[in-house]
Amino acid sequence: MAFRSVLRSVWTSFTGLNPGTLSSSVVARQTQNVPRLSALTIHSRGIRQALIFGLTTLQIEGKILEVPPGPKPPNPEAKCPIYRWNLQHKYNYTDVLLLSQFIRSDGGMLPKRITGLCPEEHRKIAVCVQMAHRAGLLPDHRPRLPEGHVPKPKKPKLNRYLTRWSVGSVKPIYKKGLKWCKKRMDVGHPALKNNIRYGFGHLHLRH
Amino acid sequence: MSNFSRTAQQWASFARSWFLIDARMQPPGKIASMCSVRLQGKHKPIYHAISDLGDHVVVINSRHIAFSGNKWEQKVYSSHTGYPGGFKQVTAAQLHQKDPKAIVKLAVYGMLPKNLHRRTMMQRLHIFPDDELPEDILANLTEELQQPREIPRKLNEYTQEEKDAFPRVWTPPEDYLLK
Repeated sequence: MAFRSVLRSVWTSFTGLNPGTLSSSVVARQTQNVPRLSALTIHSRGIRQALIFGLTTLQIEGKILEVPPGPKPPNPEAKCPIYRWNLQHKYNYTDVLLLSQFIRSDGGMLPKRITGLCPEEHRKIAVCVQMAHRAGLLPDHRPRLPEGHVPKPKKPKLNRYLTRWSVGSVKPIYKKGLKWCKKRMDVGHPALKNNIRYGFGHLHLRH
Repeated sequence: MSNFSRTAQQWASFARSWFLIDARMQPPGKIASMCSVRLQGKHKPIYHAISDLGDHVVVINSRHIAFSGNKWEQKVYSSHTGYPGGFKQVTAAQLHQKDPKAIVKLAVYGMLPKNLHRRTMMQRLHIFPDDELPEDILANLTEELQQPREIPRKLNEYTQEEKDAFPRVWTPPEDYLLK
């Protein structure tokens, strides 16, 4: 009885998922009772496919699919993944496909002991992720709201890009100063100063 | 062009054209510099300051401009009413909320030459906060200009094939729970 009620709770948690179309980065967060093993939960890297079958009794089978090996990095001996793929000094806040590999589903960064990034690149990626969030380029990586939360009608957000500081923390520059001692506004981030620039213009970090 | 009559050639070179610029997700300064070049007539090889060569420029979606950096909070627009205690300072965000056309208008005004032609050139600038244009202006438009800034794509605008084609740069360890 307890087993079936537990299974029912697991089944309800799976109703939203369509078996067979799960991507490889799907959550294995919910605790599952795989029938053949003991009742203790086993957290694993990813149960990629869940088959729900059975008419009288509910049985769920979770399989860890074999992921086909992807393309080889051009520099496999390096420790940091950015150096392995020779992407140092080449990425920016717009390269969302790269940045999304280092973030959690609520938008936070993954620790560098897990991703294997070296400290400088971890800092640069964190800065780019921050700028991408503020530019609105990662709309699905929002913090999880509690259940039953009714969002208030929001006022329309202003478009921005290359924002270094957080929006509420900046004060207006009421006294700009003369040309030789002007208070400049910060744009972009100095961590990305050494990025490769194709073209003759200089990188202006203070407008 | 060689078989135009003299009158027709004169009309073709001195006619006033109407340009359209979409300011969605664009920095207002770059939009304003493009506008000021065309309002003065500096994009024409026959330019002279005295001959009234400037064209009309229509800017749409000025409500959706994008400032780089933290300029929405830091940039301050100041004015004085002339009366004592009438010095007003407003941030760009506050000014944009009050009047979505003001930022582009002030930017273009500051980039035009500071002479008596400036007011006539500003009369030839038409700014609209959204997509809707009145029919008479829509009928006059001749050319749309390219946007100065390339708009970056959001993550949900990439197709699943493009996301799959991008290689996984690192593999998580076997026992790590990816949230």
